[in-house]
Amino acid sequence: MSEAVPRIAQIPNLVDLFPDKVQPDTRPGYQGYLVGREHLLEVVQRLRDEYGYDYLSSVTGVDYLPEGKMEVVYHLYKTLGGPALVLKVQMPREDPRVPSLVPLYRGAEFQEREAWDLLGIRFEGHPDLRRILMWEGFAGFPLRKDWREPYFEEEAKPFKSRWPEGFVFRAEDRNPFGDNVQYPPGFDPETWTPPDDEAIYRVLKRASEEDDLHADTLVVNLGPQHPSTHGVFRMVVSLSEETILDLKPVMGYLHRNHEKIGERNTFLQNMPFTDRLDYLCSMSNNFGYALAVEKLMGVKPPERAEYIRVMMAELTRFLNHIFAIGFLLNDLGAYFTPALYAIEERELILDIFEAVSGSRMMCNYFRFGGVARDVSPDILEKVRRLVYDRLPRKVDEMDEFLTRNEIVRERCEGVGVLTAEQAIANSASGPVLRASGVPYDVRRAEPYSIYDRLEFDVAVRYHGDIYDRYLIRLDEMRQSLRILQQVVRDIPEGPIMTGKPQYQVRVPPGEAYGRVEGPKGELGFYVVSNGKPNPWRYHVRAPSFINLTSLVDMARGAKVADVVAILGSIDIVLGEVDR
Amino acid sequence: MDAGLFWEWVIKSLIIVLMLTAGFAYATLYERRVIARIQVRIGPNRAGPFGLLQPVADGIKLIFKEELTPAGADKVLFFLAPIITVLPSLVITAVVPWGDTVVIGGRVIRLYLTDINVGILYILAVASISVYGIVLAGWASNNKYALLGGLRSTAQMISYELALGLSFVGPILLAGSLSLMDIINAQKHLWFVVLQPAAFLLYFLASLAEVNRAPFDMPEAEQELTAGYHAEYSGMKFALFFMAEYIKMIAVAMIGASLFLGGFMGPFVDRFPWLGPVYLFLKVAVWLFVMIWLRATLPRIRYDRLMQLGWKVMFPLGLLNAVVTAFVVVLVGG
Amino acid sequence: MLQDYLPLFVILVVGFAVALIAVLLGMLFGPRRPTPRKAAPYESGIVPYGPGRRRMSIRFYLVAVLFILFDVEVVFVIFWAAAARQLGWLGFLAMLVFLIVLEVAHVYAWKKGALEWD
Repeated sequence: MSEAVPRIAQIPNLVDLFPDKVQPDTRPGYQGYLVGREHLLEVVQRLRDEYGYDYLSSVTGVDYLPEGKMEVVYHLYKTLGGPALVLKVQMPREDPRVPSLVPLYRGAEFQEREAWDLLGIRFEGHPDLRRILMWEGFAGFPLRKDWREPYFEEEAKPFKSRWPEGFVFRAEDRNPFGDNVQYPPGFDPETWTPPDDEAIYRVLKRASEEDDLHADTLVVNLGPQHPSTHGVFRMVVSLSEETILDLKPVMGYLHRNHEKIGERNTFLQNMPFTDRLDYLCSMSNNFGYALAVEKLMGVKPPERAEYIRVMMAELTRFLNHIFAIGFLLNDLGAYFTPALYAIEERELILDIFEAVSGSRMMCNYFRFGGVARDVSPDILEKVRRLVYDRLPRKVDEMDEFLTRNEIVRERCEGVGVLTAEQAIANSASGPVLRASGVPYDVRRAEPYSIYDRLEFDVAVRYHGDIYDRYLIRLDEMRQSLRILQQVVRDIPEGPIMTGKPQYQVRVPPGEAYGRVEGPKGELGFYVVSNGKPNPWRYHVRAPSFINLTSLVDMARGAKVADVVAILGSIDIVLGEVDR
Repeated sequence: MDAGLFWEWVIKSLIIVLMLTAGFAYATLYERRVIARIQVRIGPNRAGPFGLLQPVADGIKLIFKEELTPAGADKVLFFLAPIITVLPSLVITAVVPWGDTVVIGGRVIRLYLTDINVGILYILAVASISVYGIVLAGWASNNKYALLGGLRSTAQMISYELALGLSFVGPILLAGSLSLMDIINAQKHLWFVVLQPAAFLLYFLASLAEVNRAPFDMPEAEQELTAGYHAEYSGMKFALFFMAEYIKMIAVAMIGASLFLGGFMGPFVDRFPWLGPVYLFLKVAVWLFVMIWLRATLPRIRYDRLMQLGWKVMFPLGLLNAVVTAFVVVLVGG
Repeated sequence: MLQDYLPLFVILVVGFAVALIAVLLGMLFGPRRPTPRKAAPYESGIVPYGPGRRRMSIRFYLVAVLFILFDVEVVFVIFWAAAARQLGWLGFLAMLVFLIVLEVAHVYAWKKGALEWD
């Protein structure tokens, strides 16, 4: 594939293009280019407009405390396909400022807010640079290496207090719950109201005041404690009658600073930790993280392991999509029946996950250089029966019952439209991007594992409405089954692990960005190693988090009843959004 | 008027009200079990045999729940709204006959509370009243979801009441009376659903909207308005709203069965008048099943489409049906 | 004749009593431990912004007015329907004219956009 389109696969040599503005990143194990922060906007704009790098996949920061530097890392892609162009901007730790890329890519909005929130990097020109995951008023920037959490024990696991003696002695035990809460004087939790709400209400668009005949603009909070926001997600909506004028997503209610914990963990300890991101699709999460660390380590899993990985990833995609469709219908007001029909199939797939990994949801199945356990012939037989017989029938059943349902079509067609340009600019990925007419799939654009050898089509639909986002999930389920049928047919015998299984992996210094086409979109892991047993930086590019950027574009002008369906059609899991 | 007649009324009123209350309790169980079956689940089966005591357990739980009155609520209206909502649903079936007459202890008892000659009008009038309870509940709660839900509900119910009223015209024309007893007696040989399929459909859809059932359950749309007009209610006050909805379901099923499905009429009902209530019960059970089935199957229609359907499709259709039926009736009868 | 209506008052009283007893039962047995947080109006767990009662869309009023107009006509139709057989062709024609006028009004409201909802 890559020979056929060399121009797309080729990364332009930026040093020739932008002399004295750009220099290659020569640190061992690193790639890409260093850009001076005063040249960043100019360079990126030219890359976008002239060289087709129209898709900003990931923005994140790294705190290089020993060098006294902060670094912002950008991963740019072409929607035509090809590898990443990595740009970095370095700045002194005392003065972390960088121009915002939001004017060029709206998809940077949330990620830059996240970097500001957690690392304290100030993005100049960002339209709404507020904290996004932590609460307004939180002191400090937790991902900075010199920031220490309450009950801080050590920089890295395993903590000496629990190892090797084996007894667990937590700081929390010394200070039991109830006593560990101290309020400042004059603070009453019963009457306290969060101070950051006003800031959100202020930026919401309203109907003009002169328009006297119309009703008042109604500002309503949908969520966090709301039955249909798929978790503790909050949308602040301003309504004129029933029409949505503006919407602000508010998240972070489930935030647990996944990345900070990930930096304390050892490399292998993070594998089960990725399960907790998108807890419906733990296998895909494992896949992305394994890819990133394997890139750093330079190992490649054996053939059988690759097949098993693809098998698990595609089963995950299937169960996620059937689940998403079921709950989309729920959001449309169908009383749980489609959702429960979907769950019935999901259980069968979870049976297989349980059989191979020992756990139904938190699988922790992938290892660096392979998978944890082999798939026995009878499990394979079970998979074979599922993918050849039962699951195709179930997809057809869903299709038959839902696709032409009059009410479903009326509620979904032409509602929540996202154009292709908006989708690309917003860094949307996965079904949301492809339903808007952009045939971009990481499995084809930058093939990993054995996807370049498998036959399947990248599903694409062109209207960008809820209905197409529903249809594309049906299409992708069919394609997943196609892949699965090839995999169970061709899976070779052999080892499932390169090298010996080990608890402590040796990861050479460097950086790597591993990304997979997860069920919800492009799931990326940016891992920086400094040769120690723990990652120096562990960043997750969460697809449902970034897909939420498009929520405003889809929801404006829709009815209040539609916004719930639109949210359902994006398909978010709060474990991944809030991290 | 003798005292015996008065006590007969009291007893019959009590029976109707308590039967409806019990019917509400078991309609919830019926719904949960049926939906569970449709959704490949089992449903509540732990409290008593087949879960038959589940409604009792639910009722006791609700009695012992704390009731909250939100700050800024209009306390009097907040208290009255559930009562105003449930009252019409309790009394609306007073004019629906359960059977003909039976003899108990030498006394001829009519199996209905009363048969007024404007029964249909009574039904329409009482049905309108429950709108007040809902809009008051929405207003009194001092809650945005409740207000929106209450207003939506009001607009929806009054819009569909037109279609509901027009769907009554067909059976009235055929029977030539406003009394439900006359209408049922006119169906001795042929149910009106055969002669009036359009009116039946109109009645069925309008009644779904009237009692806020799926796919017209906009006002309490869980997905966006959490619980709509009763979002702030808890404990027994909430139970009354719940009760009103299910009793209204039973009521529209009874009225619909009387108008279109021959009411208590059925084989051998002339000889064994006690069969009347049984037939009516079976028809209501089937009707409820269809309503539950729809809820388990269909997504919700969006509000603006719902209003358009009521005003632009069902109202003209009802008028057309009335004219055509009248033409035929006058042609044949005149 | 009037006696037929008396039972309706009886059931009204019985129904009201049952509803009232239900509410009183809850008040009697339910605990009552209000706190300001509990009494706050529910808005998905967020302190509500702005008042809960406000000016609402004029459309609701419009629908109400249209309803009153047309509902009176529907009641009129119902009474005529009961006597249609006796009134014969003359009654039918009279009602036809009436319904046509009604439908013209309906179409007028429709074309004026009173039935649109956006």
